[in-house]
Amino acid sequence: MRNKVLLAVAWFLISTTCGAVPVLAATSDPMTGLRRLSEQEYRNSIADIFGKDIAVQGMFEPQIRMNGLIATSTSVLSVTPAGFESFSKMADGIAIQVTDEKHRGKLVSCTPKSAKAPDDACAAEFFGRYGLMLFRRPLTAGELKMRVTLARDMTKSSGDFYAGLRYGLAQLLQSPNFLFRKERAIPAGGKALTLEPYSRASRLSYLMWATTPDSELLRAAQTGELATAAGLDKQVERLLASPRLEAGMRAFFTDMLELDTFDTVSKDALIYPKWGGAMPSSAKEETLRTVINLTLRENGDLRDMMTTRKTFINRSMAALYDVDFTFDNDWMPYEFAKDSGRSGIVTQVSMLSMFSHPGQSSPTKRGVALMDIFLCEPTPTPPANVDFSAINDTTGPLKTVRERLMAHATTPTCASCHNHSDPIGLSLEGFDTIGGRRLTENGQSIDLSATLQGKKFQDGTGLGQYLHDNPKFPACVAKKLYAYAKGMDTDDVEPSVTKAAYKAFSDSGFRLRTLIRGLVESPEFFNAQASTVEASAGQTKVAASP
Amino acid sequence: MKFQRRTLLRGMFQGSTAMMAVPFLDCFLDSKGQALAATGQRIPTRFSTFFFGLGLTTSLWVPKKAGLDYDTTIQLKPLEPFKKKMNVFSGMRVMVDDNPNYQHWSGNAAIATGIAPTKNSQFDSKTIDQTIADVISRGTRYKTVQAAASGDPKHCYSSLGGANTLPAEPTPLSLYTRLFGPGFQDPSSGDWKPDPQVMLQQSVLSTVTDERKDFMKDLGPGDRARMDQYFTSVREAELQMAAELQRPDVVAKVTIPGAPGEMPVNYALPNVRTVTPLMAKLGALAMATDQTRVFNLAISEPGSNIFVPGDPLGYHITTHMEAIDLTLGYQPKVAEYNIYSMELLASVLKEMDAIPEGDGTLLDHSLLMAYSDQSYAKIHAVDGIPIMLAGNASGRMKTGYHIAGGGNPVSRVGLTVQKAMGISIDGWGKGSMETKAAYTELLA
Repeated sequence: MRNKVLLAVAWFLISTTCGAVPVLAATSDPMTGLRRLSEQEYRNSIADIFGKDIAVQGMFEPQIRMNGLIATSTSVLSVTPAGFESFSKMADGIAIQVTDEKHRGKLVSCTPKSAKAPDDACAAEFFGRYGLMLFRRPLTAGELKMRVTLARDMTKSSGDFYAGLRYGLAQLLQSPNFLFRKERAIPAGGKALTLEPYSRASRLSYLMWATTPDSELLRAAQTGELATAAGLDKQVERLLASPRLEAGMRAFFTDMLELDTFDTVSKDALIYPKWGGAMPSSAKEETLRTVINLTLRENGDLRDMMTTRKTFINRSMAALYDVDFTFDNDWMPYEFAKDSGRSGIVTQVSMLSMFSHPGQSSPTKRGVALMDIFLCEPTPTPPANVDFSAINDTTGPLKTVRERLMAHATTPTCASCHNHSDPIGLSLEGFDTIGGRRLTENGQSIDLSATLQGKKFQDGTGLGQYLHDNPKFPACVAKKLYAYAKGMDTDDVEPSVTKAAYKAFSDSGFRLRTLIRGLVESPEFFNAQASTVEASAGQTKVAASP
Repeated sequence: MKFQRRTLLRGMFQGSTAMMAVPFLDCFLDSKGQALAATGQRIPTRFSTFFFGLGLTTSLWVPKKAGLDYDTTIQLKPLEPFKKKMNVFSGMRVMVDDNPNYQHWSGNAAIATGIAPTKNSQFDSKTIDQTIADVISRGTRYKTVQAAASGDPKHCYSSLGGANTLPAEPTPLSLYTRLFGPGFQDPSSGDWKPDPQVMLQQSVLSTVTDERKDFMKDLGPGDRARMDQYFTSVREAELQMAAELQRPDVVAKVTIPGAPGEMPVNYALPNVRTVTPLMAKLGALAMATDQTRVFNLAISEPGSNIFVPGDPLGYHITTHMEAIDLTLGYQPKVAEYNIYSMELLASVLKEMDAIPEGDGTLLDHSLLMAYSDQSYAKIHAVDGIPIMLAGNASGRMKTGYHIAGGGNPVSRVGLTVQKAMGISIDGWGKGSMETKAAYTELLA
């Protein structure tokens, strides 16, 4: 109860001479997290604040994955000179559109006394409104005044009120307060800290909808409702019930399944002339549609993503899977035949082709990636001086990749890691490097059996069932979702913080919404430690190569 | 006279041209690394890097003879036209001390910083090109420009330190647009004039800089370093705008071509072969017109995924999986891939040498450092990583030498480079690679 009083005191609103704009009292709460907005978050935020017809043009800094998640790196990365240059141009491009004659009627809520002279009250209303949405909290009096002054100067030198708004808005969009999400905490009894309501609103919104908090969330932050269990629950239910949850979970699964890797996958067109064109983006979309349909639209058992034969295909995926495409729209639901060998997303083109060589499948690459992605079990980097040449000698007696890999993996130093990750990859050898089905390799039929952690199974279907039945898989999803939400390293997620949420998840038959609710309403979710986030997230782990 | 942006602003829209007569910024005239050619024309000295993954094959590239007139080896053959204009360094050591040898990272990071990295995929300090740019790039539009010839903006090994690397332009078109698209004015053109917009944008940026104190006050040390980078980036954008208001003090004898079209940019070797010289040419033109003085080009990431169509494995996997031919004593397919890297380097030098400047070429007024991540990629060895320096840095670097490193730290090369570029430092590097011993015999 004491905490709620504190919240109300720390975040009371004061009025200023700038007009009837709520502004925030300047505080010095401990800062606990600082996360760079991702490209998707930036784009979604702009579309939600100004409308989808405001174009965002320019290049974003590349993202990097740290220990399995891009979200982790957002707590470590900064903005480089070339990156800022691009942000700066994007900001001006957006500000020009928002204040142009076409949009100002809708997006500028007040009318200036004169279109050619400064009007501080109207400017303050404009910056107060958009400042709140862009910074995800009200501006302080000083912050508001600075933009109003800038706009006034610009209006005076240009003789155009809207030019003043344009430059002031461009300023807001280049501010570190927009480009970074600053999470602030307040005391929660003893040494404990907890996120203040506006930071809570941001964390919930970027996790669940992958965008900036909407006005209702900001309102719940302003009134302090988000700091109460009932208020939080009300908002969480609202976010969970919205179709916008799909955008949030698409962003999460894109990160967790490493689907961004597709942007730079090259395949050898000489060996696989089928590859190319819309195929990479279609394969990515197929997997996202499958996962979202299963977990949200059908509210199904999340583990079924390993066994379902239901998918969605478009014309280019149909060509790759050798099935008829008979549909008027771009995408159609499709169910693979029982004997197709396909089982869930691990046998979809996306996962099969991302973790392969340009012209040859790689059981090791597939195994290492899938162990890490689905079971949270990274494989150590191979020793620097390993001799892999036996694996590639097709002139000798060993014809299939399996035989050659086994010969190499009997070396004691190699065996422990290969026994860890290869079985998964070997069971997928029935699919070539672009995910097409095959039964032989260099004239010999392929052995698709595997034994992993004491369990024997056969081919992709067996692998799907193995992962489906392995409790480490849903536990790994829970852990990654938690790390994703907080921008932390997956390895630093203590089992205790996801325990209750995992139990609810399990009891519900692995419904994704139950997991999200459990995680965000757990007492630990908004707990914070002052400025320690970046200390643990600095180490990138690189998986074994060949 | 001090440059007063805010007061000048007022006059902008009233058509006043009084502010156009602003003298050159002091920092612009102070720039180091400028030579005065016989024509009286001012020619700055530029710095470039060329990164290629996976090294070379020692038995095929290291010349037997050291010093001048060394023997041209099989793998150095593509560089023969530039032999007199470059130096090659063999046998240089990367000393990791107590740090791990991060595969496909420790070697190139050590060459670029003089420090064995303590974290994978991160730099323990600013990279050498950035240190040099701090001194020589003042007054240019871009402090440094980066390009990635196999199309991934992450393929850039230039950094202000930490996990951030500068994003590279991933296509010739994006590189062209950045350099010669909106905002570019040919310094040699008769109707050069400052763009009034730039000044307004400067005012906006100065208010972003004003946020620094407030934003930084409650940050922990790690986040403080991150935001230092952010505000450094803001500052660079301000300097870039200041530079755009000044006509570059160079007379370039070049014609800026039209924009290149869309083209496939990926790991397939034929594409890399088309894109690399095209990007090099754009970079060379950018340096000739003083849009930048530092240009970084990478043909791939360290564990290069470049592939020859038809080769199912590609370069990186081949280095690990191809058996050593017992008669030849090396990996034959890997050796072919090695030569492609040298051919690509030669194609870059050719573009730089094709631009006439003063009594020489752009290459003569440059220093290009070419380097890799491994010496023997099969076992991730880092001792003896090939390093080449091309161009004589406007006469400050003697060329035509093969330096047999004999186990000396790679940081000696980096130190020599910085001295040739006019950076005033005594030593460079950390731990066992800390050195004060530049190759003074190469410095003119």
